[in-house]
This record gives sequence, C-alpha cells and structure tokens, in this order.
Amino acid sequence: MTETAQEVESNKETLVSLRSVTRSVTLPDEQQLHILRGIDLEVQSGDHTAIVGRSGCGKSTLLNLLGLLDVPTSGELEFLGNPAERLSSNARARLRGSTVGFVFQQFNLLPGRNALDNVITPLFYAKGREFWRRRELAMDMLDRVGLAARANTMPNMLSGGEQQRVAIARALVRRPRLILADEPTGALDVETGQAVMALLDTVATETAAALVTITHDTNVAALARACYRLDAGVLSPLAVAETAGVSA
Amino acid sequence: MTGFMSTMVEAWQELRINKVRILLALLGVALSVAALTSVVGIGSLVREGIKVQSERNGGRVATLALSVNGPSTPDPAKLEKVYEGIQQRFGITTSTHVGRTQAGFQFPRGVTNVDVTIVDIGYGIIHRVPLTQGTWFAADDGQRLAPAVVVSEAFYNQAGMPNLTTSPTVTIPGQQPATAVIIGVVPDAYPQQPPAAFILTGGAAMTGMESQMSEFKVWVGEDQADSLAAAISADLQGQFPGYYAQATRMDFAAYGDPLGPAQWIVGGVAGLVLLLGAVGMLNISMVTVRYRVREIGIRRSFGATSGRIFFGVMMESVVATAVAGLVGVMLAVAVVKNPWIESKVAPGLTEYPSFPVDAALLGFGAAVLVGALAGAIPALVAVRVKVIDAIRF
Repeated sequence: MTETAQEVESNKETLVSLRSVTRSVTLPDEQQLHILRGIDLEVQSGDHTAIVGRSGCGKSTLLNLLGLLDVPTSGELEFLGNPAERLSSNARARLRGSTVGFVFQQFNLLPGRNALDNVITPLFYAKGREFWRRRELAMDMLDRVGLAARANTMPNMLSGGEQQRVAIARALVRRPRLILADEPTGALDVETGQAVMALLDTVATETAAALVTITHDTNVAALARACYRLDAGVLSPLAVAETAGVSA
Repeated sequence: MTGFMSTMVEAWQELRINKVRILLALLGVALSVAALTSVVGIGSLVREGIKVQSERNGGRVATLALSVNGPSTPDPAKLEKVYEGIQQRFGITTSTHVGRTQAGFQFPRGVTNVDVTIVDIGYGIIHRVPLTQGTWFAADDGQRLAPAVVVSEAFYNQAGMPNLTTSPTVTIPGQQPATAVIIGVVPDAYPQQPPAAFILTGGAAMTGMESQMSEFKVWVGEDQADSLAAAISADLQGQFPGYYAQATRMDFAAYGDPLGPAQWIVGGVAGLVLLLGAVGMLNISMVTVRYRVREIGIRRSFGATSGRIFFGVMMESVVATAVAGLVGVMLAVAVVKNPWIESKVAPGLTEYPSFPVDAALLGFGAAVLVGALAGAIPALVAVRVKVIDAIRF
C-alpha cells in the first residue's frame, strides 16, 4: 500500500455501523416475520459497496436502515456516531436530508415538475446558502450528469436512462456523504444501466461519498469494491471475484 | 427564516404545478366566500336601508314622543311651557313638534291638495331627513316673511322642477293666501307617493294651516332612554293632573333590534354555504393527499420532517384559500356595490354606505379558516404516511 493510499485509508470516517442488527415485523396473525438477522456492516466514506440477493431477502429493508428511514428491532445502528434509537424521527429526517442521497429503482421523479424542479426539491429542506442558491446548485448538478440541456423537460419526455440521471442529480445535489442506490439499473436496459452505474461511481468517487448499491444484477455488483450477499436476512461477505458466479 | 421561506416557496410551487386541480377546488371556496360576503354585505345594506326608513318614520335611536290626553284638550300655551321646562330640566337639546294637515298648493296644472308636515328644525335631525337638493330648515328660516317649505320629489316634479338657487316660490291659495319659498327637496318615501311638504310651525301659522294631530318628540341618548321616559312621564303627569301623560319611545329599536333574528338567519345560511365550500375543499384535499402519498414518501427521504410535511400540506391549502378568499371578496364587492342591486335592495337610501369592511374581513378570514381546517386533516394524514410504504406506493 502506498503512502497516499495509507493516508486515504486513515482519513476514512465511519458513516454507518450496524452491529447484530435485526429487523422483524408482526404479521396480521401475530406471528413475527424476521426480515434481517444479526447484520454486521460498516460503511465508511469513499466505500463502494454492493449488496446482492434475491427478491424478498431483505435488501430494501437493509437500505432503509442504512438511510435512517427505519430503525432496527434490536442491535446497534450508529449513524455518524449517533445511536439511531436515540435520534427522534425529526432528527433522523434532518440527518438523512443533509447526509444521505437516495436513488430508486423506479426513479421516483415527482410528476408535473421538470428535471430542474425535481433536482431542486431536496434543496427545499436545506438551510441558508444551499436553499437560496438552489437553482444554481441544481443546474450545476444537472450539468454534471450531462442533462443541462434537458433542464426544462418533463420526466415523461425523458428516456429511462435520462430519468435515472435526473434522479442521480437529485440524490447528489446536497452533496451527500452516503449514496444509497436501490436497484438503480433495475428499470434500464443493460447498456444504459452500465452507463448509469459508471456515472454513479464517478460522481461518488469525485465527491468522496460512500456508495451502497443494492442489486440482484451481478454485473452491477461487480463494479463495487466490496460485496455482500444477503440471503434469508443474513449478510455475508462475498469476494468481488465471486460476484460473477453469484446466482441472485 | 429559511425554513419558513422554503415552506412558502414549496407551497407556491405546489399551487403552480397543480393549478388545474387547485383551481377547481378553489372555485367552490371562492364562490362560497363570495356568497358569504355578499349575503353579509347585502344584509348590512338592507339593514341600513330599513334603519334609515325606520328613522324617517319613527325617529333616530332613541326618540321619545310626549303626549297628554284627557277629558279635554290641554291648554296649548301651558303644554308649550311644560315642554320647554322639560327640555331645560333634562338637558334635551333636540326636539320638534310634529303636526299633520293638508293644504292646497298652486301648481302649473292647477291646485293640488298636499300632505303637509308641520315641524321644527329638530325634525330634520331626529328623522335624519335626506335631501336630494337644497337644504333643510335653518334658524333664520323662521324669520322669513314668505315661509320656507321643503318639498317631496313628487311635489318638486309637479312644480316644474325649478332651480332652487333662484329661490322658486309656490302659491298657497285659501283663506290666507301666501307665497312659500322652496328651499329643499326630499326623496319620496315610496314610489307613486302623492306630493308632500314640510313647513316650520311659525310658517304654518302664517299661512293659516292648523294641525289636525300634533305630537312633541325629543331625541335622547339610547342608554338613558328608559330612565328618561319614566322621569319625563312622571314630570308631565305631575303638571297635568287628571290627564293621562306619558313619554314613549318611537324609534325602531324601542323593543330591541328588530333586525337581529333576520341577521341570525342570514348568517346561518351564509355559514352553511361556507360549510359546503369547506367540505368540497376537504374532499378534494383528501383525495389529493392519497394521490400524493408516494411524493410525500420521496420528500421524507430527502429529509422533510413530519412538521415540515404537515405545515407544507396545510400551507398549500391556506395559501390557496387566501387567494380564493380575495377573489371571493372582490366578487362580492362587485355584486353588492352594483348600482342596480343597491337600488333594489335599499330603495330608501339616497347615499349608499361603503362596502362593510367587517363583511370583507369575515369573508377573507373565513376563507383562511376553511383553508386551515381543510388543510389540517389531509396534513395529518400526510404525516401518518409510513415513509417506506409511501415510496413503494
């Protein structure tokens, strides 16, 4: 490891840490459904992590926990050193707004708003200069994803790839330290999906943000520097080289 | 500051984006507010019209009529002295004799019998006599050699509508022929009213007019009216033993506000109209929130707190209904201040009052209140949305 690499490694900060985390829900017949069991995971700044698994194995639930959209049933979840269970719903919302950027499978662009207005939306929850300079910041981010010329276009007039690029611009406009992508290429063809992932990876690297991608696409998982497999609620590390052989 | 501004900007953006839906919702609110404000405004106009009409007939609040009746007619000289004494003792500054008679007046088309009211100067104040031209009697009108008369519109028209600045005269034929000067014109009390005129007590004596019935009225403060009526009655009775003497209230408010029940009914109807508007708005807001569940979830993922979501959804409603309220009030002003409507609603008025500010404030306030109420329920629903479920909605 070179000196520079060592420096980078030592400057890394733990963003989210999960220790023995479980998540279960009570079903209508009073039975407990255990979605996640004993999850141990640490995400540091600059990490690019992929979590693969079959549908229904708990990938989205894990992503919700990482993004403070949900809290564990048991175990410890620390976000930037703050125990999640001690944070109020509003504190979690504020922390999420300033630190986490979500990219969804179905893009989830807000209808009736053009690309620029969609990218502006997260900045409504920012304070000070970020709010007042929202248009300029949103335009810069659209430019970054190569869609400045389509700023005034409505989502339904954009292709799937373009919509996902707008969603990425929206997720990154507040310069999050953690980007959570839930099946970001799930609604795209292979070629467009690869372009979108390359873009996500580039922007995350440029901004030193951690990128956690949830996918069942082994090609997408192969782009990550660390890979985990989630099976029946249990998370286990996977050598990146193995991803090609994972049957998701 | 940034938080409030961003909520307002966000609310405005929502209104801009969902303008068709919001316009439809607001149409009902604007019409409801227009109806409420118009009803209150017209009610106020009607009330003013009825009040003016009542004051023209019975006198201002509070007018007392003094009367002495008995086996024989009381001595007029003594009665006059007693009335003067009562005014001095009770500090009454405005009073009038009111007598009624008929007299022939010479018009271009011949002599016509005219209803004449014999009054003092105070009659104009007590009965708030409106004038369309000229002036009411002044103190020096009692010194004229040719008595002054204030005539009705019908009289004035029949006299050929002379220019009052030229001090036009009219002849009063009869046993003591005289010439009177027309100094003012009052509107007719009702359509097709026969010609009528007012003349001062001194002028009536000069022309030989004798009152067929006479009363004496005084104008007192409303809060003292009942106690003064009792005191004056006792005073009069003491000076005319064997007669039945009394001072009774003549104004329209003598037995409480006669327009009170009507105003309650009108207010109730207006409230019902607004309630219907609010229910319509609430209905559309509820449907909209359900339609926006996913969007709310996405916003939560961007860091929107529950308070921000609640305030945002409610502000959309409040900002929208405030705009609708303004439009509704403007519509109501346009309706109520329409000259045709004014003339039909309050035909007795010569000068229409300005649009009641309280009606405008009520309409606008009601709109904002409806917005807050119709926004609060969907806002509560929005806050209860589970973020994870909402994003997948």
